[in-house]
Amino acid sequence: MATHDIFMPALSSTMTEGKVVEWLKKPGDRVERGESVLVVESDKADMDVESFQEGYLAAVIVAAGGSAPVGDTIGLIVETEAEIAEVQAKAPKAPASAPASVVPAAEVPAAAAVPVAPPPVVPAPPAAAPVAVAAPASSASGRVVASPRAKKLAGQLGVDLGVLRGSGPHGRIQADDVLAAKGQPNTVPWVAEGPGPAVVSGGNGASAGNGSAPAPAGNAFGRPGESVTFNTLQNAVNRNMVASLAVPTFRVGYTITTTRLDAFYKQVKGKGVTMTALLAKAVAVTLARHPQVNAATSADGTAMVYPASINVAVAVAMEDGGLITPVLASADRTDIYELARNWADLVARARSKQLQPDEYSTGTFTLSNLGMFGVDRFDAILPPGTGAILAVAGSRPTVVASKDGSIRVANQMQVNLTCDHRVIYGADAAAFLKDLAQLIDTNPESLAL
Amino acid sequence: MARSTGDAILLEPSGPVPFETAWQQQREQQQRLLDDPQGPAAVLLLEHQPCYTLGRGADPAFLRFDPRRPPHPLFRIDRGGEVTHHCPGQLVLYPVLNLQRHGADLHTYLRALEQVVLDVLTVLALPGERSTGQTGVWLEGRKVAAIGVGARRWISQHGLALNVDCDLSGFAAIVPCGIADRPVGRLSDWIPGLTTTKVRPLLLHALARRFALQLLPCD
Repeated sequence: MATHDIFMPALSSTMTEGKVVEWLKKPGDRVERGESVLVVESDKADMDVESFQEGYLAAVIVAAGGSAPVGDTIGLIVETEAEIAEVQAKAPKAPASAPASVVPAAEVPAAAAVPVAPPPVVPAPPAAAPVAVAAPASSASGRVVASPRAKKLAGQLGVDLGVLRGSGPHGRIQADDVLAAKGQPNTVPWVAEGPGPAVVSGGNGASAGNGSAPAPAGNAFGRPGESVTFNTLQNAVNRNMVASLAVPTFRVGYTITTTRLDAFYKQVKGKGVTMTALLAKAVAVTLARHPQVNAATSADGTAMVYPASINVAVAVAMEDGGLITPVLASADRTDIYELARNWADLVARARSKQLQPDEYSTGTFTLSNLGMFGVDRFDAILPPGTGAILAVAGSRPTVVASKDGSIRVANQMQVNLTCDHRVIYGADAAAFLKDLAQLIDTNPESLAL
Repeated sequence: MARSTGDAILLEPSGPVPFETAWQQQREQQQRLLDDPQGPAAVLLLEHQPCYTLGRGADPAFLRFDPRRPPHPLFRIDRGGEVTHHCPGQLVLYPVLNLQRHGADLHTYLRALEQVVLDVLTVLALPGERSTGQTGVWLEGRKVAAIGVGARRWISQHGLALNVDCDLSGFAAIVPCGIADRPVGRLSDWIPGLTTTKVRPLLLHALARRFALQLLPCD
């Protein structure tokens, strides 16, 4: 059987990987020599990829939306119609789009093996494709179709690829198949980040199977040995983070007593108020009295810009990578109940990727909260275009000594303010933090007024 | 008629051109070069009637309107990149080149198109710059030129769009090129009174120089 590979072409000497934008032919379609079969994108350039043979497109190895290194096989062409039937008879259907198996822990606890509907934008490596039917990977000519990682693993583990049945598209042998043949667990559980219950505690091993190897508890976008392209959102976040290196920042820390805030939170929790809304409100009210901390350096670096309103952005990690900062606009003037409702709505729409740009790009001050994970201190990277970001750690009971020598137990949390020193000086940051701490410590009830 | 390999037919339709018309012209020129790869290249320089275009892999999430009811005609076209906007006052340059004669390297081609715009800005004494990891040309943080190309057998289509004195309000309905955090700009904000008529020859000269083309006006 004559099978011809379609390779990921090199559109540039600086291209290492390309993205399949669109297949112009479906498996089974007749392909003429020189006819365009698919479109590959690299940077802002598209190229039609043409077939060097006439025949039939027998298999799509990398689906639209997926990426592959230059030179990798992305599709197969056979010469006769009979051969394509042969290939399709023993191969499961190719996935229509690149699937990913990210399981949001908060929604489906401990069900890490359940595949979830693919996110619309993000390409995933084909190795993650859940395929129902196993098929022999070797073709009639004895040619073994296996992923590069499967081949490498097979070598390391001493598995004969020739006797394996591949679970990938068209019977391609995947790394999982090699691991399964060796009796190793082949499911990598994914745990989403997010403001859910902390996942640092034990008892996360439910999906680890009979567990000869420990399952990772944290989120990962790739498997050991893989290289995974940043998605659009991750790239955008990366650009912002790198841009922030041009800003002269410094950091100021403060310990805030939260005993009263925690008690107040218990009272209003039933009315839908969240800790995020309370913290955003506390920050906004304090910013109203410290406009310098709400200011930023202008884009050309020549002026200090004082925004017309106080818009508190709150960082939210996205389950499929990257993070987004939904904005609570005019948070100082919005009541706490409405803030909480707005926040719930923003988060829900952020997860379904339906935020309008002005809902995540107009923050004047950013809040990053890792308190729910029990973190005791961290610092944050300043988002470009703003003057400051506050990193909020977890609150916990602490033995506190007073000036008079008495000792008591109080809930305390550490916060850490990262500032653009061109606009905000140490004294500005300290005065802001002192006021914020005093508000939270002595008068959190005023946040509901 | 004897022609050197550096010859390029210059097409400069007057008045704002509907997007479909210019797209059709480009495809005809591309097909001509596919049939005769040794033939002369073609260069289209024009201004479009207001419209929006999406690259083949573009994410509709960057539209701020309902794609079924766009404020101006919307096209999904055969180039790379995200959504962009065209309108009168923006110069659009579409080189239909056999890139095999220019290094057969799409990234190099994108950088060369940026360089053409940077050359024009240098003539105008404006400090244009590239942005690492992004394609296009920026002026003091504002994007003034967008770039997106498509190719078949190394014959290029589409190209660059340079905002000269256009009404920028149409960009508010999209996230141009999927970049939300950086605004778009136009050259007339730096040089009041600058028009496309003045920039046209600069752009053609820069293109001809960078790609060693002799532009032959089509009559």
